[in-house]
Order: sequence, then structure tokens, then C-alpha cells
Amino acid sequence: MRTKYNKISILTYLNLSQLLKEYQGSHEENRVFALKHQSLIKNPKKLILLWTESSMFRVQDTLDSRVFSVYFSSMSTLFSFISLLLGFFTGMGLLNYSGDAPVNVIYYLLFSMGLPLFSMVLTFFSMFSHGIILNFFTLFFPLHWVEKIFSLFSFGKNINAVNDKFTPALKKWMFINRLQLFSLFFSIGLLLAILLEVAIQDIAFSWSTTLEVTPFAFQEFLTFIATPWSWFFPDAIPSVELVHMSHYYRLGERLDPEMIKNANVLGGWWQFLAMVTFFYAIILRVLMLIISHFGFKWQLGKDFLSLNGVDKLLREFQTSYVSTESQKLEKHLEIVSKIDTQIKDNHRRTYKTIIGWNFSNDEIALANDSKEIKALTVQTVGGNHTFLEDQEVAKLSSEVVLLYVKSWEPPTMDFVDFLELLIANIMVNEIQVYPLGTVGRYYESSEKEVAVWKRKIEGLKSKKVWVIDA
Amino acid sequence: MHNSEKDIIDDYPKFAVVGHPNKGKSSIVSSLALDDSVQIGDTPGTTQVKRGFPLRVDGKVIYELFDTPGFQRARRVLEWLKEQPEVSADKRAELVRKFVNEHRNDERFTDEIELLEPILDGAGIIYVVDASKPFGPEYEVEMEILRWCGQPSMAILNLIGDEDYRGQWKSALGHYFRLVRTFNPIEATFRDHMDLLESMAQLKEEWTKSIKVAISVLDDLHQQKVEQTIDSIVSNMVKTISFVYKQNIEGESATQEEEEQAKLAYREQIMDYEKELEKSIEFIWNHRSIEKVDNVLILDEVGLFSKESASIFGLSQSELMITGASAGAITGAGVDLMFAGHTLFLASLIGGVVGGIGARIGFDNLYSIEILGQNLGKRELSIGPMKNLNFPYILLGRAMYHGSVIAKRSHALRESFKLEDDEFFTEQLIDAEMRKKLESIHLKLRKNEALSEEMLDEYKKIILRSFLGLLR
Repeated sequence: MRTKYNKISILTYLNLSQLLKEYQGSHEENRVFALKHQSLIKNPKKLILLWTESSMFRVQDTLDSRVFSVYFSSMSTLFSFISLLLGFFTGMGLLNYSGDAPVNVIYYLLFSMGLPLFSMVLTFFSMFSHGIILNFFTLFFPLHWVEKIFSLFSFGKNINAVNDKFTPALKKWMFINRLQLFSLFFSIGLLLAILLEVAIQDIAFSWSTTLEVTPFAFQEFLTFIATPWSWFFPDAIPSVELVHMSHYYRLGERLDPEMIKNANVLGGWWQFLAMVTFFYAIILRVLMLIISHFGFKWQLGKDFLSLNGVDKLLREFQTSYVSTESQKLEKHLEIVSKIDTQIKDNHRRTYKTIIGWNFSNDEIALANDSKEIKALTVQTVGGNHTFLEDQEVAKLSSEVVLLYVKSWEPPTMDFVDFLELLIANIMVNEIQVYPLGTVGRYYESSEKEVAVWKRKIEGLKSKKVWVIDA
Repeated sequence: MHNSEKDIIDDYPKFAVVGHPNKGKSSIVSSLALDDSVQIGDTPGTTQVKRGFPLRVDGKVIYELFDTPGFQRARRVLEWLKEQPEVSADKRAELVRKFVNEHRNDERFTDEIELLEPILDGAGIIYVVDASKPFGPEYEVEMEILRWCGQPSMAILNLIGDEDYRGQWKSALGHYFRLVRTFNPIEATFRDHMDLLESMAQLKEEWTKSIKVAISVLDDLHQQKVEQTIDSIVSNMVKTISFVYKQNIEGESATQEEEEQAKLAYREQIMDYEKELEKSIEFIWNHRSIEKVDNVLILDEVGLFSKESASIFGLSQSELMITGASAGAITGAGVDLMFAGHTLFLASLIGGVVGGIGARIGFDNLYSIEILGQNLGKRELSIGPMKNLNFPYILLGRAMYHGSVIAKRSHALRESFKLEDDEFFTEQLIDAEMRKKLESIHLKLRKNEALSEEMLDEYKKIILRSFLGLLR
């Protein structure tokens, strides 16, 4: 499927840059996207373009690319037209023949060949420089100053705002690219001017210089200039005779009689001048435009992949999405912070019945000895006992019962079932639940452990049950 | 489970983490599933329903862990099972299934049904006990029920408290479980996690391949997370060190108030950058609930610009002198090179001495303050980039410390961590050679110059090396 997002362009660059600031997607979303387009997984640029296209709907603000294309295309059209006119009128001015003094070809050569070559050399230096050196070279380009003036106007400011989204390197290539385009239009204007001037009036060309240059030397120089077209267009190389008879001296402001005699031949220069303009100002400029276009494309591709967030996107496209979370919501246990349990801070010395929950008889004997507690009967419940055995113990209990529990083991519903049996026994007046710590800690229980027991006992809401927190 | 659901049971390994209430089942699941959203509480019965934690790779489940409620009425279950007509060992699981089916609507056995269901659906058993507390007979009942289920099983000794009854437990558990492993979810490192998975792979031959895949996936994931952490730290270093704060001022020069305001704004922005970094690192390591924990932010109390921070994370005075001298010498060497050594390398020497002395200048001498040229008649006060030599090391040290704590932090941990190290933290991180390389990069950042890709890669490599050292 061909879309406008099929290739990296300045507009897709701006769109992606704007999109990444607002949305980068989660790893899961991005990986799913990549898996849907598995054929493109090895072509990151295309994959990102496609991702941009499918995600652009998320950008609600005015698109930077829209602002850029509206202002930039109108600015470019305007500047191209101005350059064309400028070139045309410069050409008309240079070729203006009043009938008094002939048109000096050297002067024309400076504009149609010297200036473009100088500008191209500067452009070459600019292509390979950056920072302060680049800024220095830029100062030589009139376009830089024209754009600076334009930036003071409101539409110029809009362009600047979008322009700030580009890296300095990309801005450089964009400037070089623009410069080549406008220079090309200027040169086309120049060529049109010479063709028009030649067609509508009779121009007498000459060459004139203060330097001591012989016609032979000058002709050799011109032949050198004409090398590129000498093999297919020899008529566009001025002959020695033509150069000789076109030599003009301003002294006395008069024309050489030889020149007047050969006035019909003097116009023969135009072919040479047109070819100079065509080759040096247009063909070479087109080459520069192509080079700068490739430079711009290369930089754009590089910057496109360096946009903040692209790294993350590529990584997420290429790496498997691993998740370990549960999709089921947790059912939270409501923890009651306020505890209103009946608490005793000490135990009795003697009890009629002592019951150990999940304790063995030996363990109870040790605990009794340590706590100096005596009992008429000692029973063990829980653990390996059956529930029927526990029922029997609960049934036989009476008066005040001391119930040892392991403080570190939380009260299970199994324990609650047994406690409820004790509560239900009308012979039992009071149940004292005593959470004991481990032997290693000398039966000391932590505050946290006892709190767990208190909380559970509180839930039973029985007046009979107390917790010993000694 | 409905028949239709049964029909689509996948063949990936499943493990049910079961046990007595409050023995750290959820902590183990939270740690293994790298998910800190699992509710873990001191109160027994925090987990009320089973929850599956599948390890998915691009949507495909590799294995699934189940967090389950603890046994509440184990004795009643076993009694019921024993009351049934005796069956051979291979039919016992059917009896357990019968119990589950018959008591599905019996509120007394909600917890038992929740924990037995995944096992009856084919999950391996991971029985968790607290080995810091003594073994008791009540556990035998639970182990017996699990044995009746007939699924591959292993036991995990979790040490919640300071006492150690592992010997006692091993003797008891050895009768019921093929494998017994110690795993403390709070202190477990990534390696411990992988070792436990290796043990789980041994439970059933058919599961070995999947678990091996899981180990490899998790290994890759860990590596990716380390790399992402380094990327985040480096990008924050670049952003922070080269940060310049600009503010318009009214007059020709800034008033004291304007300068103070700008300094405050500058510092606040840098602190915000640090907070953003911390959040992004916590996100990378899947610690999403960390902000819910009180006082969890280790570095907040030790301010970025405090002397305490400088003493813990920055360079010592002598290191600063050496670093300052080498930075000065680098600049001086540039001058020497320009004069092709005709300065007899005096510039390097002078640069080194000046740099060394400069490094001793007070901690408050943090940033360059400038009044910038006119822009349509307005003047700008510019603060930054940070000139203090020690600042990048403090920033880097704090970021690495936070990153390493988060990377190592178990997802089962619900408590805050404290910064207790009063030694020079940086000394553990960066040796003299690394410091030299770092300084040349910091120098560029302080000049607000862009780093080349090669320099950035070198920077990442140095930080990665130190970070891996911290993770060990």
C-alpha cells in the first residue's frame, strides 16, 4: 500500500517529531504493532513511518508539517520567482547596449561563471563544516541575510518556530538545498535574458581590460572555459579573429574602425556566453542541487532515526514483550485498624484446664514450667488430633480455660471452630488465649504477632474470650 | 471449572504456591512475577482468592504461577478424604476432586477450594513454609492433602524471622517433597530467582523446556532493563550537566532578587530532572507501586546540592584535585598542540595547576552566571551549565545508587530503604582510569558541546561497567 508515509520526508519527520512528544505507546502496544507488520520488522524506517501514519490521529494540535508546508512552499515559490526575476533583470542590465560602448564580455562572465563558481566552492566548504566555521561561510550567502530580514515578519517567525524542530545539521542541508534552488532560478533568469536580448536587439560584444592581456592569451583562456562543449558545439568558442577584432579600448570613447567594419561578426559572442551560462550557472548548479538533495536526504534519514523516542520505539518493536502481571483483580482483605479486644496483661497461677492448640503435651509442660503455671488437666487439640477429639476436649472443659497458641502461627478457621465450641460450652466461664513465642525466644511474642491474635478474637465478639498480652 | 474451559487447557507449566496462612506465599509470587502490586500483609488471609501470574512472551504463556489463600480447615478436608472408601494411590486425586466439587458452595472451604483447584487442573505444587519458626504437626495435615493431589511438588523454606529451623523442616519436608529449596523473596537476587526456576524445571520432564525458555527470556529481559537504565542515566547526565536556565531581566544587570530567583529555578529544574529519572528507572524495573510506600525515596532526604550528598556520592578532595588538574591539563595540552610543543608543554602544566586549585573552590561555586546580549532591548540572565567539578560525580553517583537499589529490590519488599553508607560511594564505582575518561566527557558537557556518538557510547560503557559492579 502506497501512502504519503511511504518515504521519509521533511513532513513525515515533523509529524513523527510532534507525535513522539505526545505519544510513544507502551511496549505491549508497540510490539503488537510490529508483530502485525512482521515483514517490515527488519526495515525500521518503514515500520516507523507506518506507525506514524497509524498513530497520527492522536495529535490534536495544528500539525507542524502543515504550518511548514503552507509557509515554506509559499516562501519557496516567492523566493524562486524573485530569484528568476533578479537573474533576468541582472542579465538585461549586463547586456544593455546603448549603441555607444559595446557590452564587455568579461563583466558578463563574472556574473555567469565567476560568481556561481565562487558560490559553489563556498557551498562545498559549508557541506563539510559545522559550528562556527559553518556560520562564517553562511555569512557570504545573500540568502542568509534575506531570510534573516524575513524572519522579523510574522510569517517568518512561524517558519522559525517550525525550523527550531530541526537539528543544526539538518538546517544546514535545508539551507544549502534552498540556496541551490534559488541560484538555479537566478541562472535561468540570466539565460532567458541573454536569449531575449539577442533576439530583440543587435548587441555588440567586446572585451576590455586594464590588464596587459593579448588577444591570443585571452582566446586560449576562453577556449579553456569552453572545453566542456568544444566537442559538440565548436561554434560556441570565439575564434582568435573574433577576439582580436573585439578588443575595445575606452580611450577617446570611440570604436575601433576595425570593429565597426566587422560589426556583423561581433554578435557572434552570444553563443559562447549562452553556453557559459548554461554550463557553469545551470548544469553545475543542477549537479550541486542533486548533491545537496542527497546530502539533505542522508541527514534527514539520520535525524529521523535520532528523534527523541525513536530508540525506544525500535527497541520495543524488536524485543519480545514479557509480562508477568495477573489479569485478575485482587480481592482485598479489609484490615481493621482499631482493635477493641478484651486484654489481660497477666495470667493466673493455677487453672483447672489448660489446652494447647497445636502443641504437644511435653511442650505444654515446658511452657507451664517456664511461666510457673499449674493446671489440674492439660489437653492438646489441633495438629494431628481429629475434630471429634477436639469436640470432646471442648465439651469437658469448665470454669476458666487457659488456651495456649503459637503466637507466630496465625489463627486459622480451624482454630476459630474449636474456640466457638469452647464459647458455646456453658460450663466455661472464661477463655484466656495466651499466644506464646518460640522456645528460642523464651516464649516472648512480638507485638505484631499478638496484634494478629487480638484482631481475630475481636472478630468473634465474645465476652468470654480474653487475650493475655504479658 | 466448566467443561469448555477444561477442553482448552494449555500445556504450559503451572505452579500453585500454597501453604499455611502468612508464610510468605504472596511475597514469593510477587518476587517471581516481578510484580509489586501483589497485596502482602501481616494479617493472615490477606490473599482471599487465587490469582494467576502468567509469564507471557508476546502474548504466549510460558508458565503460570498461582498465588493462593492459605489452608484454613485442613484437618476437616483430610478427615473428609479419609472417611471416603479407600482407593489406590492413583485414584486419590479423584477423591480430592470429588471434595472440591461437593464443597464448591460450602463457605467453610472457600480457601481450600481456591488453593486446590489449580493443583487439580495440573499445576505443580510449591509448598511454602517459614523456616525461621519451628515445625509443627499441623503442617503434616496440609502436606498429606497435597500428597493426595498427586502432582509434582517442591517445598520452599522462607526465612521470615531471625531464627533458623531449617534442619527440622528439611527432615519433615523430605518425606513429602522431592525438592526442598531455601528462597528468601525479600533478599533474593536475580540469580536466586533463576536458580529457583531451574529447580522448578526439574519437577516434571515435560516442563523443563518451557522453564528453560522462561529463564532465557528473563535473562534477556534483565539485560534489557540494565541497558535501559544506563540509557536513562546517561541521557539525564547529558541533559542536566549542559542545562542552561535563561530568564529575562529588567535592568542592565540582574538584581540580587532576580539572581536568587533564577538560581532557585535552575536548581529546581535539575532536581525535577533527577526525579523524572528515578521514576523512569522504577518504571523500567516494574516497581510501579513504590511511591505508595511511605518514605521510600532514598535520595530525597539527602538533597542533591547538600554537602552530605557531595561527601557520599562525590569525589574526595584529593580525587577532585587530581581530576581538576587533569581537566586543566587537557585544555592546556590543546594550547601546546597549537604551538606544536614550542610552549615546552608549559600550558599543560599551568592548566593542570589552575585546574587543581579550581577544584578546591567551594561547593557553592556551582554554575556560571552570565548576562546575555540584547534581544530587542531585553537582557537575559543565564545560569549554567554547572561548572562545579564534583557535580557530575554527585549526580552520577546518586543515579547509579538509586538505579542499583531499584534493580536489586525484590518486588516482595514493601518497606522503604535507607541510605546508610557514609563512605565515599563513588570510590566503589569509579576508578582513576574511568574518572579520567569521564572527565573529558564532562568537560565537553560543561562547555555545552554536543557529544559525538562514539563519546556517548564510551560514556555508556563506563557507566555500564560500574553499574554491573553494583548489581553483584
